[in-house]
Amino acid sequence: MLEKGKISALQMTVLLYPTITATAILVLPATTGNFAKQDMWLSPIWASIFGYLSVFIAYLLHHYYPQKTLIQFSEKIVGVIPGKLISFGFLFFLLHTNGLNLRDYGEFVIGNFLPKTPMIVIILSMAFVCAITVYGGLEVMARASQFFFPVFVVLFLFIIILLVPVLNPENIFPILGEGLTPSLKGALIPSQWFNEFILISFFLPYLNRNGKGLKWGIIAVTLVMITLVISNLFSLLLFGDLTPFFTYPFMDAARYISIADFLQHVESIIMALWVTGMFIKISVFYYAVVIGVAQWLDLTNYRPIVFPIGFLLVVVSIWSTPSLQKLIDFSGTTWPFYAFLFQMLIPISLLFIAIIRKKRSK
Amino acid sequence: MAWNLLKPKKQKKKKKQTATKQSKQGQNPLSTNLSDNKNQLRSIYQDCSDFILRSFMISGKHQAILIYMDGLSNREEIDDNVLSPLMVKTQEDQSDLQIDKLIKNRVSISDVKEVKTIEDCIQLISSGNPVVLVNNSKTGFSVGLPQWEKRSIEAPEAEKAIRGPREGFVETLAVNISMLRRKIRSPKLKMQSMEIGRYTKTNVIITYIDGVVDKTLVEEVENRLKRIDIDGILDSGVIEEFIEDNPYSPFPQILETERPDTVTGNLLEGRIAILVDGSPSALIVPITFYSFLQANEDYYNRFLIATAIRWLRFILVIISLLLPSLYVALLTFHQEMIPTALLISMASSREQVPFPAIVEVLIMEITFEALREAGLRLPKQIGSAVSIVGALVIGESAVSAGIVSAPMVIVVAITGIASFTIPRYSAAIALRMLRFPLIFLGGMLGLLGIMLGIIMVIVHLSTLRSFGVPYLSPMAPMKYSEIKDTMMRAPWWKLNKRPHLTGEYNEYRQSSGQKPSPIRGKD
Repeated sequence: MLEKGKISALQMTVLLYPTITATAILVLPATTGNFAKQDMWLSPIWASIFGYLSVFIAYLLHHYYPQKTLIQFSEKIVGVIPGKLISFGFLFFLLHTNGLNLRDYGEFVIGNFLPKTPMIVIILSMAFVCAITVYGGLEVMARASQFFFPVFVVLFLFIIILLVPVLNPENIFPILGEGLTPSLKGALIPSQWFNEFILISFFLPYLNRNGKGLKWGIIAVTLVMITLVISNLFSLLLFGDLTPFFTYPFMDAARYISIADFLQHVESIIMALWVTGMFIKISVFYYAVVIGVAQWLDLTNYRPIVFPIGFLLVVVSIWSTPSLQKLIDFSGTTWPFYAFLFQMLIPISLLFIAIIRKKRSK
Repeated sequence: MAWNLLKPKKQKKKKKQTATKQSKQGQNPLSTNLSDNKNQLRSIYQDCSDFILRSFMISGKHQAILIYMDGLSNREEIDDNVLSPLMVKTQEDQSDLQIDKLIKNRVSISDVKEVKTIEDCIQLISSGNPVVLVNNSKTGFSVGLPQWEKRSIEAPEAEKAIRGPREGFVETLAVNISMLRRKIRSPKLKMQSMEIGRYTKTNVIITYIDGVVDKTLVEEVENRLKRIDIDGILDSGVIEEFIEDNPYSPFPQILETERPDTVTGNLLEGRIAILVDGSPSALIVPITFYSFLQANEDYYNRFLIATAIRWLRFILVIISLLLPSLYVALLTFHQEMIPTALLISMASSREQVPFPAIVEVLIMEITFEALREAGLRLPKQIGSAVSIVGALVIGESAVSAGIVSAPMVIVVAITGIASFTIPRYSAAIALRMLRFPLIFLGGMLGLLGIMLGIIMVIVHLSTLRSFGVPYLSPMAPMKYSEIKDTMMRAPWWKLNKRPHLTGEYNEYRQSSGQKPSPIRGKD
């Protein structure tokens, strides 16, 4: 086994939750608001169906091929060469998406807080921290995220509780004024965030107690759904129809926090705490790429490739997009289909082939 | 990797060393000829002026010698209970009685051991047991009469407490053991002895409670101690560096304490203590990060107070690590977060200061560390002079001279005080050292830099283990039942379970349902 560490199902959940929410609460209120208008808070509920589906697919595949990750069982299912090709595509997708995540983070920090700092410094420093974590292994990553998870949750509760006085409840009406269609349309993009739950495939083989994986996977999806409903709802109640015009509505909402004239302009603190979530997200993707590549190449140890892949990651994040506008455009138009192919179509077809093969062999 | 290539070579070297060591340690049996033995010992103890060898006749018949080191054994007892009864000529002379029986009958000392080799002789003599050798006999006798000057038991200087036992360990192993044995009277308290150090032959004791401790853990501790091959052990700190899990970490992975009650408490929780002769501090393994934030007093005070104090410590740990870097980050990058009135007063006090905030902080922090270090090493009489110099020159004059600003002095002072509240010195100093990289990160990237620094620290702490126990447990990995003795201090009648360290463990330490209530007293 490449990875000797074992994590608990709870640790898997605290790894997955920030992995999805860290970027989702940033950009999703705007992109869903674009399609769903005042029904945007419903969209994550529809989108979460994809999350549950992803968890089920990963779990069933894990059930057929225990102790194996997606990279390993794709070879077993469709044969060595097609399997390697699929795995390569999947790994490239993960690396690319993680590069975009890193770029997202860099653009957010520079756009809002450190406008004069070069992008490469921001991205490199984060990539370095993540590289060290991935180098430490799955257990280290899980423990660190278990430590930061409460911070992330407290941050979230902090924002929503302090925002309550400035909300405008009328913004929510009319509920379902134009039927279900707008909220369903708005669910298309968030569904790809939920499909990122396919990453659970990289954790299920390393759970210390096998039976709990599905239960905690579902809990993770539910928690993410609740979080996204709340963040969309609060952005809507605060900004109303204007939500789509912000780049990061929920973080902008934090600027409205002011208590007793003392606690104000807390967005820097919120950014700093949000960084922990982003750190977990990038580390989880990074880890998946590293362990995937190691399995793809049948290496005996994944640690020597951690830093080279980190370098690749930084390069991808710099080269993949020229500007924030292009990045948003890409993640709103091309990326959902691109992600759907790798996160949904490929796993689900692997699952069908696996089921057919199992039945035939009987 | 380069070190992989080096490794086999190193191991070979080690094997060679141990091989030569073993051949040196061949056992020489005692000769039947007394003068042979005498000469051999004389040549071994050549130029040792404290070596005492007394020839005498047992009952005026058998030639014998008594050997001991001056100052290590009780001379009065030797004279009264060994020499005089042996030298006396009794009426009914048991010439037919064997010499060893004769000695055992005559010597009125409880601890008499047989000695068969020169090496045993040397070892016993060095540890203060006089040895008697007799002509025409292959076995000698050692008498257990060690006695030397020792420090009396005092309250431990480094771990003061308002409530709780006042005694602290001393440099003498036997006294320390007796202190533990007096606290835990069960024969389940085991003490495994071991000798480390080529020259010092320091006695090291592994102590644990059988049935509470995980046996594999004891073996692991034993193995790690056995691997030590060094010329001398001066303090338990030397051993600590040899048996740590992660030697490159700034964080201590072994708890050292001078308090017998702390050791007892830890033994009862299934941990292992290592006592070293000549060192007043015992080592406790395995431990977690939170052990360093707990004082023994937490368990003697009322639980609500103890919980509050623990929370205070958590806050102060964060302050001692982060306050200076936060100050730099706020002043350099995030001025908008400071309330306007405060910002104006801060700006006006910094008006005179020619340095950027980060330089100012570094100047002050280094000065503070210098003051602390100076105060630590200086004799008490000069110590007060240092504090006056520190308070006046750095506190007052530096501000009025416009070299540093007044808020900066406050920040550094609060940080200093906060770091002193961490009960364990070794953890406090690790956090103090980490402050400096965080100041640089805060000066370069603001709050983001500090956050990255914190992430690095937490990731590092997550990689650490102390004898297999994750350093951040019970928070990460989470163990619900142990949270009540880390994040807070639950009342004693709630602390029914022992913490789970490694492998098998004895789960319950007391019977449940002991919450006191007046109603229960009636039936």
